[in-house]
Amino acid sequence: MTTQSEGHIFKRFDKEMQQLHALVLQMGELAADQLQQSLKTLENEDPQTAQQVIENDARLNALDIQADEEITTMIAKRQPMAKDLREIIAVSKIVAELERSGDEARKIAGLTIRFFQPEDNHPPGEEILRDIFSLSEYVAEMLILSMKAFDTLNLSIAAEVLIKGQKLDGQLDSCLRRLSTFIMQDSRNIGHFIDIVLGIRALERFGGHATNIAGHIVFIKNGTDVRHVGDSAILASIKENQS
Amino acid sequence: MNTATSYDKQIIENDDPMENPDFKTVGTTTVSDPAMTCRGVNVFYADKQAIFDVSIDVGKNEVLSMIGPSGCGKSTLLRCLNRMNDTIDICKVEGEIKLEGENIYEQNLDVVLLRARVGMVFQKPNPFPKSVYDNVAYGVNLHGLATDKAHLDELVEKSLTNAGLWNEVKDRLHQPGTGLSGGQQQRLCIARAIAISPEIILMDEPCSALDPIATAKIEELIDELSKQYSICIVTHSMQQAARVSQRTAYFHLGKLIEVGPTDDIFTNPVHKLTEGYITGRFG
Repeated sequence: MTTQSEGHIFKRFDKEMQQLHALVLQMGELAADQLQQSLKTLENEDPQTAQQVIENDARLNALDIQADEEITTMIAKRQPMAKDLREIIAVSKIVAELERSGDEARKIAGLTIRFFQPEDNHPPGEEILRDIFSLSEYVAEMLILSMKAFDTLNLSIAAEVLIKGQKLDGQLDSCLRRLSTFIMQDSRNIGHFIDIVLGIRALERFGGHATNIAGHIVFIKNGTDVRHVGDSAILASIKENQS
Repeated sequence: MNTATSYDKQIIENDDPMENPDFKTVGTTTVSDPAMTCRGVNVFYADKQAIFDVSIDVGKNEVLSMIGPSGCGKSTLLRCLNRMNDTIDICKVEGEIKLEGENIYEQNLDVVLLRARVGMVFQKPNPFPKSVYDNVAYGVNLHGLATDKAHLDELVEKSLTNAGLWNEVKDRLHQPGTGLSGGQQQRLCIARAIAISPEIILMDEPCSALDPIATAKIEELIDELSKQYSICIVTHSMQQAARVSQRTAYFHLGKLIEVGPTDDIFTNPVHKLTEGYITGRFG
């Protein structure tokens, strides 16, 4: 009896999909690494390396272009349908999210350059930067999880990312509250305030991209577009499908 | 595409229609405004059953495409819709097929009249060995649809125009139809079918013998014709089904596995067999 087979009749198609899959994972790793490196430069007060991190973003941009080219060629050559079509469309969006994640990570390296110039006699103290570090850890975890969810198309992990995304707004609020306290304590911090808020905002966007990626994974798996609906509705549905 | 509010989608993996005697077609087989309805249709070639309990509607002014691997019964079902299977002695059709509420397998039904109401276009263009004009005029004369020569001329011109062929053949109306190109011959056959104002046009892989440009012209024509007629098309080209039809039915080994809006079937099919077939994971 003719039945569904494991692989595609065109083995080349499976191979191309695998290549694309690997490319996404590579971009995810690179984006997470860029954030990690940016934080290290902030921690080590090292503007020189920060410049290097900013320049390294070009690697992510190049992979973005390469992925786009591969996606266009695959659509033209293979005319994917159903699950394959959804995966290709979602991958094209995930790739864009990862490229933008890299841009946000670059902004943290930019903070190092602004804060730690040799002529600056009042760099921000460890305390005022604490939120940047804690929030970075949080959003880096989100990205790593979203890549894990993508690698195995695992909806439970995607749901974890979506839950973390829901809590991100609250985190942002408490960061801003703490920052206001520091400003009131020492008015010399006012000069750094805007930069740090922009940094926190960049990290919030970084986490937002990871949340979007989780949404794209739901689309690949279920074929449902979960953008622009409440996260709680999405989570309820995922749990329903899991049970 | 599913709406953002439905999250309950799950691929049906383990419902093997060949193993499960109670298998039910996935999706909605009926439409609110049907031109033709099939209920519990079984078809046998002698002892061998080719179609198992198929129920499906062809909606008015809709293009319904039937897809599936070779031997899945899609052409057999199509040929039941205008009793073309009557020409095969060993073929037996059970169940109910109604055209506008009237059972087409009634004993005293005029099959010639039925085939005028349910026209057919075949895989290979098969114009009569007559002139372009006579090919189209033949059915009109047979059914006595023209009042005089002027009326006949008018019907021929209208049919050729609607089939998108008039401009290409108006200066060679009295040359043999067989002298046209493959794509033109197929459009001539469509003109011949629509000249007698059918309600439904059945198409059995109408483009499989044509080049891509001629295919595109036929597909564009199908789109135009669907404004006036109901069309049921069997095709091996999934891209063609995706392009021309509003509803798609997927057949597998004589059973109707899944039917639904074409947009859903090609982006988000529900049954594992449908997904396997349309994504090319089949063997």
